[in-house]
Amino acid sequence: MQRTVDFKLPHFFNYPPYFTLQPVRETREKQVQLWKELILDYCRSQKMYIISLEEDFPLFSNPKIERSLSYEAKEVFLAALVSEGRAEWIDKNHKKCLVLWLRIQDWANYILDFVKENGLEVTTIEDIRSGIETHGTELAGIDRGVLMRALRLLEQKGKAVIFKGSSADDEGVKFSV
Amino acid sequence: MRRRPGIAGLQNAAATRDKFRLVGENVAKVRTDVMQEQLATFRSQLEEFARKHKSDIRKNSVFRQQFHEMCAKVGVDPLASNKGVWAELLGIGDFYYELGVQIVDICIATRSHNGGLIDLLELRKLLCQKRKTDLGSLSSDDCLRAISKLKVLGSGFEVISVGKKKLVRSVPTELNKDHNGILELAQAKGYVTVEQVEKDFSWSTGRAIDALETLLKEGLAMIDDGHRDGKRRYWFPCVTLSSDASGSEAKS
Repeated sequence: MQRTVDFKLPHFFNYPPYFTLQPVRETREKQVQLWKELILDYCRSQKMYIISLEEDFPLFSNPKIERSLSYEAKEVFLAALVSEGRAEWIDKNHKKCLVLWLRIQDWANYILDFVKENGLEVTTIEDIRSGIETHGTELAGIDRGVLMRALRLLEQKGKAVIFKGSSADDEGVKFSV
Repeated sequence: MRRRPGIAGLQNAAATRDKFRLVGENVAKVRTDVMQEQLATFRSQLEEFARKHKSDIRKNSVFRQQFHEMCAKVGVDPLASNKGVWAELLGIGDFYYELGVQIVDICIATRSHNGGLIDLLELRKLLCQKRKTDLGSLSSDDCLRAISKLKVLGSGFEVISVGKKKLVRSVPTELNKDHNGILELAQAKGYVTVEQVEKDFSWSTGRAIDALETLLKEGLAMIDDGHRDGKRRYWFPCVTLSSDASGSEAKS
């Protein structure tokens, strides 16, 4: 995996002690806060949804200063995101994490705006993920699970209806905007 | 004067003394008047000067410092009270009060990062960012003046010298000689190890660990167990500028 150029890493990423879990409470709180923000910002800029603790992830090591996060540290930072509703463990063993850089509610609103702007009252799930209109928006390549949850939320609110499309593997959505 | 005998002589002498005293008083009075006149002239000239150069004083840090020095020489403190003629005239009091408030802001905002101890240069950089000016327009002297005004609040703001650096302390942590020594040592690389402290100061391991643990608890130090030599490093954010926290040591 490689880091894309257009993401500016914060100063603390180059300061070695931020890669060791701090024992003093106040210092730890600050450290966790900075990492939480960094993980969300980074995933958003790279449109990443899943972080696996057991695989390499560009944010969790900094070759320039020869430091990397311990397994425990990664778990602490992700757990902090989970406790705030900004991430979810997707397995029982807490090895994989779904990062919600937009909350489901925010995704739902984003989709509604997107649909209004582009006049896409009736469309398909796949088109939302990779249609022409999607290019350059947050929706490009959105995690299917996240998208479905946002759409179901809209369905609950009576703002969308999901229906079976013509082909078996695609579903359509009708929005009432 | 030759003393003459008799009552007339005594009366004469008394009259002469009176005359001398009168003349003396006159001279003194004239002198005082002249002095007062000169002072008034000087004061009005200083006011005139201040009025004329108000914007320079506000904008130019070198000019500001020179103006302060000039005022100090004639015993005028333009910051003594914001209601004084000087402050009103210049708004110079406002300048330092505003600066003071910004200093408090920054010290509090960075406290969780540096434990309430910040390098004066770092503080200046952050101030300039906040004020959207460049570093040259705000001198260390300005910051020190503003901080000295903060002392009135009893808020524990203080400037301490550690090695070559000046650090601004915004928490009432008492640093003893051991702690100061470590902070000074840390300026070289941004961090120290227990071993290094023992060796440099010829301390026992216990003494070194004690001092480092205190600094850690106070939030002034952060531990780093990530170096491949396995030795714990104690980093001190207060002696590392955020702009050059590039960890250039890591390769060594």
